[in-house]
Amino acid sequence: MTDKLLTIEDLHVEIASRARTVHALDGVDLDLAPGEALGIVGESGCGKTMTALSVLGLLPNGGRITGGRVLFDGTDLAAAAQPVLRDVRGNTIGMVFQDPLTSLNPTMTIGAQVAEPLVLHTGATKAEAWRKAEETLRLVGMPQPGERMKNYPHQLSGGMRQRVAIAMALVCEPKLLIADEPTTALDVTTQHQILELIDELRDRLGMAMILVTHDLGVIAKRVDKVAVMYAGKVAERAGVRPLFAAPRHRYTQALFAALPERAADESQPLATIPGLPPSLVVRPTGCRFAPRCAFATDECRAAEPELTDALDPGEGGGEHAFACFHPVDPETDPVAEVVPPAPEAAPVRTDESLLTLREVAKEYPLNSGPFARRKGAAAVSAVAGVSLTVKRGETFGIVGESGCGKSTLGRMVVGLEAPTGGEIRFEGQDITALGRKELRAHRREVQLMFQDSYASMDPRSRVGAILREPLVIQGIGDRAAQDARIAELLDEVGLPRGAVDRYPHEFSGGQRQRLGLARALALSPALVVADEPVSALDVSVQAQILNLMRDLQRDKGLTYLFISHDLAVVRYLADTVGVMYLGKLVETGPAEAVFGTPLHPYTRGLLDTVNEPDPTAEPTGTPLGGETPSAAAPPSGCRFRTRCPIAQDICATTEPPPAEPTAAGHRVACHFPLVPAGPGAAGA
Amino acid sequence: MTRFLIKRVGQAVIVLFLVSIIVFVLLHLLPGGPARAILGPTATPDSIAHFNHQQGYDRSLPVQYVQYLGRLLTGDLGESYKLNQSVTSLIGERLPKTLVLTGLAIVLAAILAIPLGIIQAVRRGKAADYVLTGAAFLAYATPVFFLGLILILVFSQQLQIFPAEAPQADTIGGILSELPALVLPVVTMALGIIAAFSRYMRSAVLDNLSEEYVRTARAKGQSEARIMARHVLRNALIPLATLLGLYLPTLISGALVVESMFNYPGMGLLFWNSAQGSDFPVLLGVTLVVGVATVIGSLITDIAYAVLDPRIRSVS
Amino acid sequence: MTAAAVEATQPEAAVATPSLARRTLSVFARNKLALLGAVLLVGLIAFCFLGPLIHHTDQVHTDLSQANLAPGSAGHPLGTTDLGYDMLGRLMYGGQTSLEVGLAAGLLATLFGTVYGAVAGYFGGWVDAAMMRITDAALAIPALFLLVVVAAIITPSKPVLILIIASVAWLSPARLIRGEALALRSRDYIHAMRLMGGGGSRAVFQHIVPNAIGTVIVNATFQIADAILYVAYLSFLGLSIPPPAADWGSMLSSGITYTQVGYWWLIFPPGIAIVLVVAAFNFIGDGLRDAFDVRLQKN
Repeated sequence: MTDKLLTIEDLHVEIASRARTVHALDGVDLDLAPGEALGIVGESGCGKTMTALSVLGLLPNGGRITGGRVLFDGTDLAAAAQPVLRDVRGNTIGMVFQDPLTSLNPTMTIGAQVAEPLVLHTGATKAEAWRKAEETLRLVGMPQPGERMKNYPHQLSGGMRQRVAIAMALVCEPKLLIADEPTTALDVTTQHQILELIDELRDRLGMAMILVTHDLGVIAKRVDKVAVMYAGKVAERAGVRPLFAAPRHRYTQALFAALPERAADESQPLATIPGLPPSLVVRPTGCRFAPRCAFATDECRAAEPELTDALDPGEGGGEHAFACFHPVDPETDPVAEVVPPAPEAAPVRTDESLLTLREVAKEYPLNSGPFARRKGAAAVSAVAGVSLTVKRGETFGIVGESGCGKSTLGRMVVGLEAPTGGEIRFEGQDITALGRKELRAHRREVQLMFQDSYASMDPRSRVGAILREPLVIQGIGDRAAQDARIAELLDEVGLPRGAVDRYPHEFSGGQRQRLGLARALALSPALVVADEPVSALDVSVQAQILNLMRDLQRDKGLTYLFISHDLAVVRYLADTVGVMYLGKLVETGPAEAVFGTPLHPYTRGLLDTVNEPDPTAEPTGTPLGGETPSAAAPPSGCRFRTRCPIAQDICATTEPPPAEPTAAGHRVACHFPLVPAGPGAAGA
Repeated sequence: MTRFLIKRVGQAVIVLFLVSIIVFVLLHLLPGGPARAILGPTATPDSIAHFNHQQGYDRSLPVQYVQYLGRLLTGDLGESYKLNQSVTSLIGERLPKTLVLTGLAIVLAAILAIPLGIIQAVRRGKAADYVLTGAAFLAYATPVFFLGLILILVFSQQLQIFPAEAPQADTIGGILSELPALVLPVVTMALGIIAAFSRYMRSAVLDNLSEEYVRTARAKGQSEARIMARHVLRNALIPLATLLGLYLPTLISGALVVESMFNYPGMGLLFWNSAQGSDFPVLLGVTLVVGVATVIGSLITDIAYAVLDPRIRSVS
Repeated sequence: MTAAAVEATQPEAAVATPSLARRTLSVFARNKLALLGAVLLVGLIAFCFLGPLIHHTDQVHTDLSQANLAPGSAGHPLGTTDLGYDMLGRLMYGGQTSLEVGLAAGLLATLFGTVYGAVAGYFGGWVDAAMMRITDAALAIPALFLLVVVAAIITPSKPVLILIIASVAWLSPARLIRGEALALRSRDYIHAMRLMGGGGSRAVFQHIVPNAIGTVIVNATFQIADAILYVAYLSFLGLSIPPPAADWGSMLSSGITYTQVGYWWLIFPPGIAIVLVVAAFNFIGDGLRDAFDVRLQKN
């Protein structure tokens, strides 16, 4: 094992708070050769971040290493004294954290923060450090690094901040880079740029890397090997290709099956993992995954499986270790088998239009708060002339990056905000023109499912009161009838009836989304606007909520306006899709048409940017570069032209009118849509 | 920044107007109204009526207010009943002395409170934290005059280290040359501020220590001491400017009590003596000046905050 | 049921959770400092209001023959004052004034400040701006100065003193509650309620008030502490209810004359009483603040 750069042996970590002690890591074994890249994946609370933090001794308050070794370059960092650790940190091991805003000091210039490790570790003078910092910033793709060094973090965009964080980690040219969810807080296109950057820098500097993420798509093409963690232990460890091709642990298998990207057929429900990971306050007996595993036997519940080495039968013959008594047999056990049976009936879609938006616009004045303004503009154009039609019974998905106006659009549809232009017709009636009484009646028809259901529930109300409130407001039924309705709603979303006596904070994230859905359904609405309803959830819980939404749509003939930044989720759930960019609807049409043969260069770019959870997928097209301009000063003509690979002069002068160049119902607003030339030619 | 400045100064001007209205209203609440305030308690009803007519006090209140404001702007605050001197010149003599006393107290408080707060945060949950927290609660609950009294009893009468009376010199230089006599008044005033500021520093440092940028600094290999000095302290100290602004009224109230206890010839003592002697022009003049001083003081601290914090400074 | 529903079947889901009020109380009870405060307060109230039933003294007529007796004298465990009043009895009698005025003024100030702040915060816009500039202006003049001016104009009786102090003390709760109302108004659960068709009165009475009530109660305890201090300051400056009435502040004030001759019992008992009662209210307020914080009640 002398050729290893980092070896983690039987690592145990405990996090003690006032009330209890959590056994966050319980015997983790990992290793890493120089120049190698390891991905650590798992759901929240599985210990992946704790593993990364304990390498550098950066555990949170109350956390300590209670056993095991962390050998780095021959030194046991788990037992090392603070001065030894400090000598390693930022010097031979660099670290990048999740949120680039909070992980930078807000009152210190970029330059001072990037130069800091140099002054500490290399004994460089201030001037030398400053020069090297500028060089490193140039290396991470920071435009005008000399100027930027005098800036403060809040003056940069999220992507640029993460570049600064990477520069800080790399400025001493470490042997190992640890990146803890480095792209989770970023938009899809920025995410891609940052991952590409890390890849490129790793090649150039020849350093090893640990990439911690919950997103299987992120690691698929970025690492050499993967460790899947569950409940404080490594469940499976293998080369990236064998792991993605033939996962052996039942947890890994279930994790893959829950991905919307992997759904074999969009009409099928997603595979889910029932239940929640254990809390780790008490060490579970037996296999930690057994309570949620469809293949668990008494053996699994009695004894804990060891992480056993077995040669992978597939390519390379590298190490493929897993801790499972009943592993997947890659020959006879295809992944698809864990998918539940198909539903009885297909969803009821109609051609009747339920919701029609015509040239809807929303502008926010800029001088409302003392600090909320940017220069040179009087208003932020959040939504600029969006027209679309939602048919009864369908799921209309709206995708776009943050700041594209998709949430504002949803808030206007439900009536939380009034449009500054255009009209919104629901069942033919203009809802902006409704009187007080009509509006109250209209409320029954359109409900909102919030992204953060916890914030949308009064923390001082019990669940019973929360679900009763819409019925009381609308004067539906007497108390007994309301009680019956509440019980019915809880049944429908799969929560026990006893939940009525509990408070929102006692529920898990997935359970709260169920509650949010139950409340949205209390008034039996025709349309539910769901604003990022699963973006805060782990993939296994996300699958549960998506399945539930589908089931309820089928049973009740619901219509969804589903707003999300996640293309895979929208692709899985939506019948019709609208793509938004900077307040404009750039493309809309049937989901299979928009995702299959996108007409707008932005849609194309978005699709090319997505990290497929497949290490063998060939890179396609050209991912989007650049950053979204400010909505306070949108570009003239076509708003996308500043990032468009095929933009021409006309794009700057004339706004492209919507057109349907290929098929009816597939509309695009582009001067040069990517129309396939003919049967023989490939798309653009 | 410019727009922030304009907005903030505009607000301060509005508040100043309102302060003048409050004092104007108090003036009219006086028994006998402003005429008695100016002519003195011995004036006859006839002379009051004559005066009211002559001075326009029989006109409508808005007209009177405009006249009042006009006099204020020329620096005319009326004449003292007792001291045979204009209120403006009285305040002009006393104000600098009060500023010296308060300034010294703030400096002393900052020097002590900042390290105390840091110690508490770093040793959170340990004995030092509990002792200092208890002391802060006690200091907050102790009225300034009781504290002053205890200090006088211990340090002046028992130990006889410091005199119980503040310097009586006419000039600032003279006052500063009698440093031992300044010790008790300054300490009495500072103790409450120390309690408040050290509480603030404790929680600000704790908040900042749990920020992710501190973890980043650790990941760079910074030592805890330098993280405190280079990263945490700056972020914790900037909002202290605002706290100081909010604390100004309490501070000036403290000056009133301390000056009257230690017989320090500042504005507070002037005010107290006027209250005892019903010298209303002086009483209201001082009230107005103190209000204006607070408004300007908090304006300055707000601007200082904006200048110190790059997040606000760079908003154009 | 589908597999999806299993997530919900948590073992503890069948047990009802105790009410928020009960849990608030139990969090409060776990806070030792807060309990100490409550015990101190109950003790002081019993001392001031029940004490005179046991320890009978004359607090109206002076008796110069009995002046300035040292503690431990016959019938005067804490000695007598310069006018011959029994010190222990006077401490009870003065405490009644301090507590009554402090409590009444603190509560009155909180009540008025809460309504004022809630109105400003709920309406927002220029109504809010105008109302808040008024409080800014009134806050700019230090409270003690305003109190002294008003007390110098009017000779206070007990009810007048309460009104005077309340008229100055309402400003800070007004500002606080206004901020709270502004924040609560834009919470997602208010949006959710509006989407069900609920109106303004439901927002205020079902959601905003219950969620703001903790802040109001906590602030009330601090206001009472401050009001007791204001009474003491005014009395100390000689501007409180005239003799033979007394409160702790005026007792201290009249004791100052005798510090030179070492009559310590004239100073320390009322001084310590003020410190104790103010500290007690602060401890209670701090404990309540933690207890009302829903996040702390998770386990």
